[in-house]
Amino acid sequence: MQIFWITLSAAVAIAIPTLATAWAQSRIGPAAAASLAEKPELSTTVIVMLAIPETMSILGFVVAMFIMLRAGG
Amino acid sequence: MILRMSRARVLGPRALLPRTLEALQDLGFVHLSAPVSAAALVRGSLTPRELRLERQLRRILDDVETAVALVGRPQASAAPPAPPAAPPWTAWARSARRTRREAERLQARTQALGEERALLAKYQEVMTAFGGLFQRGVAPGVRAYLVVLRAGQGTSVERLRALLDVALRKDYELRTHPLAGGELVLLLLVPVGKAEHVERLLAESAVEQVPLPRGYEGQSLTDALPRMVQRLRAIPAELEELAARRSRMSERMAALAPAPAAIHDRLGQLEGLRLSASSAHAFVLEGWVPTTNLPDLIVRLAERVGPEVAVEELAAEQWTAEAPVVLQNPRLFRPFQLLVGTLPLPRYGTIDPTPFVAIFFPLFFGLMVGDVGYGLVLALIGLVLRLRSRPSTPLRAISEIAIGCALFTLVFGVLFGEFFGDLGRRWFAMRPLVLDREEPRDIVSFLGLCVALGLVHVVLGLALGVASAFRGHRRQAVGRGLSALMILLIAAALLAALRVLPHALLTPVVVALLVLFPLLVAAEGLVAPVELLSTVGNILSYARIMALGTASVMLAVIANRLAGAVGSLAVGVVFGLLFHLVNFMLAMFSPTIHGLRLHYVEFFGRFYSPGGVQYRPFRHWRTT
Repeated sequence: MQIFWITLSAAVAIAIPTLATAWAQSRIGPAAAASLAEKPELSTTVIVMLAIPETMSILGFVVAMFIMLRAGG
Repeated sequence: MILRMSRARVLGPRALLPRTLEALQDLGFVHLSAPVSAAALVRGSLTPRELRLERQLRRILDDVETAVALVGRPQASAAPPAPPAAPPWTAWARSARRTRREAERLQARTQALGEERALLAKYQEVMTAFGGLFQRGVAPGVRAYLVVLRAGQGTSVERLRALLDVALRKDYELRTHPLAGGELVLLLLVPVGKAEHVERLLAESAVEQVPLPRGYEGQSLTDALPRMVQRLRAIPAELEELAARRSRMSERMAALAPAPAAIHDRLGQLEGLRLSASSAHAFVLEGWVPTTNLPDLIVRLAERVGPEVAVEELAAEQWTAEAPVVLQNPRLFRPFQLLVGTLPLPRYGTIDPTPFVAIFFPLFFGLMVGDVGYGLVLALIGLVLRLRSRPSTPLRAISEIAIGCALFTLVFGVLFGEFFGDLGRRWFAMRPLVLDREEPRDIVSFLGLCVALGLVHVVLGLALGVASAFRGHRRQAVGRGLSALMILLIAAALLAALRVLPHALLTPVVVALLVLFPLLVAAEGLVAPVELLSTVGNILSYARIMALGTASVMLAVIANRLAGAVGSLAVGVVFGLLFHLVNFMLAMFSPTIHGLRLHYVEFFGRFYSPGGVQYRPFRHWRTT
């Protein structure tokens, strides 16, 4: 039973930040596309902007991994 | 680094201004800017004649560029010839206008023929299906109708046939042909005398007749279709003739080849006149020169124009505008200017981050990918790109960045003992020398390494911020210095709390933090604590290096295991290669994006000061 809760916790730890990242990127994407239509030279900046919310997923991944490692998984 | 610039003032007799401008254009390293205003000086302006010439030159340029865009550049591989000493503006203007008009006519005719061909091609399927009939010609006294039935209306044929049987007593011929899109074309041949009756029948049965294209309306189908076939056959020859005319025209345009360079140069000189200032008898020109070129400017201007023209260097206190920025770095770092160049230029007098990017970007990339196999593939791609690119092009810079990243990937691959994931361990008995990224315990150490690297990177950014702000904004420099110190103390406190450092250090470090905190608020205001927290968050953001690295190695290991799990050796190898290919592409894309992000957001945010002026030397025009 304990392994179920550990796995669930790790899954939640990565799932919620990833959903938040997806939501943030869904807002950035159209704005980025509109910016690129007017200023194609912003492409690098736009890609970096899109990568900014990924911090949440990455930190979620780190937390999930710690949960698994602490539990000896 | 940012090249050191000097502001030079050129003074001379007014009559020598045109010659001086020509000489400066030949030298090609002075960035002209408006001189300081003074009561005795009048800003340069163009005479009505010069204004007319300027308008004429812009028209010629527009005509030549339009004609080149429509017809193509003559002798594309050859460099345009040098402009003549006395450019024939009037002859060029006439020739350019004539060429442009002809090119536009050719273009319009080619476009019209293309559209006509596309339209007629739509009827080609019908013509092919019933071609024999129309080539032989329909017998006199017979009228033809073409009808299209939409997909799924095939049953209407039988209903129409039944109606026609009753109305015409089998005195007709009905042929069908299915089209590629699913529609069914019916060709109905009836005696002319019964045409009116048939048309009524077709209207009542609500089937759609094929309309004839423009230019053929009002003709009977039997007349129009053969003519359409003939026209379709004639169009390619006409298009070829137009292409030949375009080619001949392109050759004739060779006479205009020196025009763009001459026009741009003359327009540049006219712009130079606007940037000058003059009194009743003298002129003044000011501009920026790389400091190393200043002696050259003095000597060569005296040689070219004469001793009457004097050059003086203005002291920094007399600078009325910001100096333009030229990034100049050692050969090894130069390709990384491409990565810095995606952001606005740094301001003059601040720090060029290129050398730091050149060290840390491949380092982060190598840490994330860290695989000998992927490193070798990337090095190969980099070498191929380098061989296929020309010097000083973005592609050459990308190839050299790729080679740099590949080297770090190879080094970390050896340190982590990875060759396409765990294949190196299985085949070549490779062993991790520093960290085993597949081992849970080492993953924590890897995380610690990445965050420590983040600490170094961010503190370095803060230190550069101190250096950058020291000259102009002392208070800001103090604030950044205090931030850097507090970040180091926070790290020390954490390490002492975790007993990595002696535990006895904890209390003095915390006391030092409590003392520094009000000083930080005093230096940077109430926003300082928020900034400090944001900096701590930025350091933790370097955990992405570990996350992406671990994901990369895990995917590589999974690729090997899945390939081994497939029964057939050949299928297993193909499957494994495909999986590795996907992982390789991910391993190239994500580390690049996140490596850039760590620089642009976490590192540059501490010291980078954008808004620099681009260095645009006054020189002869050259094609890019």
